[in-house]
Amino acid sequence: MSTAVADPAIRDWRQLLVDRPAVALTGVLLLLYVITGLFAPGMFTPNGVRSTLLLACPLAILAASQTLCMLTGGIDLSTVMTANFAAYVAANQSGQGPVVALGLALCVGLAVGLVNGIGVGVFKVNPLIMTLGMASVLLGVVTVGLVGDGFLSGSTRLLPVLRTVASGTLFGPVPNNVVVWALVGAGLIFGLSRTGLGRAIYAVGDNPIACRLAGVRIWQVLLAVYVLSALLASLGGLLFSGISGSVGPDQTNAYLLPSVAAAVIGGTSILGGVGGYTGTILGALILTVLNRLLLTLDTTEAFRQILYGLIVLALAWVYVRLTGQRGS
Amino acid sequence: MTATPTPAPKAEVVTPLPRPSSRLERFVRRQGWVVGVALLLGVLVLWRSSQIPAFGAFEVRGIVAGTMTLALLAMAQTVIVISGGIDLSVGAMMVLTNCIAARLMLEQDLGPVVLVAVLVVVVAMLLSGLIGTVAVVSGVPDIVVTLAASFILAGLALIVLDGPGGGTHPRFQELLVGGFDEPLPATLWLAGIFLVVWVPFKRSRLGIATYAVGSDRAAAFLSGLNVGRTRIAAYVLGGFFSGLAGLVTTAFTGSGEPRASIGATATLTSVAAVVLGGVALLGGSGTLLGPMLAAFCLALIPALMLGLGWDPNYAEVARGVIIIVVVMIGGLLQIPRRAR
Repeated sequence: MSTAVADPAIRDWRQLLVDRPAVALTGVLLLLYVITGLFAPGMFTPNGVRSTLLLACPLAILAASQTLCMLTGGIDLSTVMTANFAAYVAANQSGQGPVVALGLALCVGLAVGLVNGIGVGVFKVNPLIMTLGMASVLLGVVTVGLVGDGFLSGSTRLLPVLRTVASGTLFGPVPNNVVVWALVGAGLIFGLSRTGLGRAIYAVGDNPIACRLAGVRIWQVLLAVYVLSALLASLGGLLFSGISGSVGPDQTNAYLLPSVAAAVIGGTSILGGVGGYTGTILGALILTVLNRLLLTLDTTEAFRQILYGLIVLALAWVYVRLTGQRGS
Repeated sequence: MTATPTPAPKAEVVTPLPRPSSRLERFVRRQGWVVGVALLLGVLVLWRSSQIPAFGAFEVRGIVAGTMTLALLAMAQTVIVISGGIDLSVGAMMVLTNCIAARLMLEQDLGPVVLVAVLVVVVAMLLSGLIGTVAVVSGVPDIVVTLAASFILAGLALIVLDGPGGGTHPRFQELLVGGFDEPLPATLWLAGIFLVVWVPFKRSRLGIATYAVGSDRAAAFLSGLNVGRTRIAAYVLGGFFSGLAGLVTTAFTGSGEPRASIGATATLTSVAAVVLGGVALLGGSGTLLGPMLAAFCLALIPALMLGLGWDPNYAEVARGVIIIVVVMIGGLLQIPRRAR
């Protein structure tokens, strides 16, 4: 890369970005927030902050599962369908009380994650294909369950506890779901940097052959990653249903590409081994504010999509340019 | 060797020379998967024909013309996957070309309609080439670039046509997908594209370079190939196929439909067809025939389930299970090769 010829000021700046991507991303986030605030003054009130955090939370949780998979060099395209299915199961079983309903919803995640993990880890199926097939299966199961008097039909009553957790307010501009988000975030950031599994996830993504030769049981790491990913996905689905106040067979589908984009903007390499959850949190916040900005500008759906694509592309490009983290 | 001068009989213990593989072995290794998919397709077609009392030209036309779009998208995805990339925007490209074609072809004579068709394919090639250029120049992984591109293309499609609409010339429809009981045009187009575009491409310098770049980018570079240009060329050829897919959609449905979810589903199915067709997602291997046949297999499943009297919604489950099982078998077959 051209870092060698750049003048010292720029080199320092780039070095800062490489070492502490969170600093630069925070800058982008604040800038974007201020620009959005100029068009929508409501953004500067506690309520504006609250709605941003509220909407960013499910995206950030879904992006967490994407971050984990991407760190091992994979991807999880079944996250949103897992989220939809889990939300349905929780709504369907809400008569059984919150513990049973939430437990069953998380069991959905566990089952999906186990199958994904066995496919990717043991059978060495390409993650893209494995999770794609899984998404297809889940879509079919949900659709079949909703037809006529299928096993999911009539599940419209949300758990009251979900509504409280997902859309209640803790204090001032802080919604309740931020507590869940903070717990997940702290767990992931600590787990990825300080535990054996966390380091193994980076190692497997960086160089699977070296890992195998060093005695890492790669299939166990991958199994753990895909199970965690699916559990996070069900959690995201539950939170989303709490915010939207309803369940639907495709209600989180629009989050699939943004969840990948949030991780990419946050500096997690899709090739594996580089990145972390701190960046993803900022990525999710940036995308949420961006979405708000595009909505505020009163543009058409068409123009919003184009701009969204261009900005995601531009951010990824700038990131790769500055950090020299090129895809081979 | 030690100092013993006599040629010791011990030498026989040394690893024997690899036996030259026979023609049959090579054929099985290279084409075995495709033959398997072809057999599967044969079984599915026979099964389907046994379900319908009068399996004739009408049904064949329905299957061929209805699957042509998916087959073309699978071809687009295959070329790009062989070159070592992946294109998550092929479906969106199909939707965009469908919308452009339907809007411009509305109430035109056959002459201008054909002109528009050519123009639309050229536009698809240029756009796809642009996407490939961005991926090559920026160094951002293909999957991210094409993901972002799929948003942009879907947005453009909405600008071209803000809702279902547009139209085309009935003669153009007949030319491309045939009348209701003419399976020949669609079949001939697919076979023709395969023979006229793919076979010469695969044997050309560029085609071989595409395989080389997909197989090992660094080795291809060291052999003096222009890696970037080859990858962009693969995207341009992919754009050609997805542009054609858009035209076929226009001809088949007689209108344009800018819904983004159609594109997303089509993209995912194209990836599935590529994998079922025996093309490694790592790049550098595979042929165009496998994904083409696999696309037909995937499209026959819902029809078969309907024939069995099942809820057609199970088709989605069955499709997913088939994809997973097939790739798991593929993974199992590769394990001994890797362990060696």
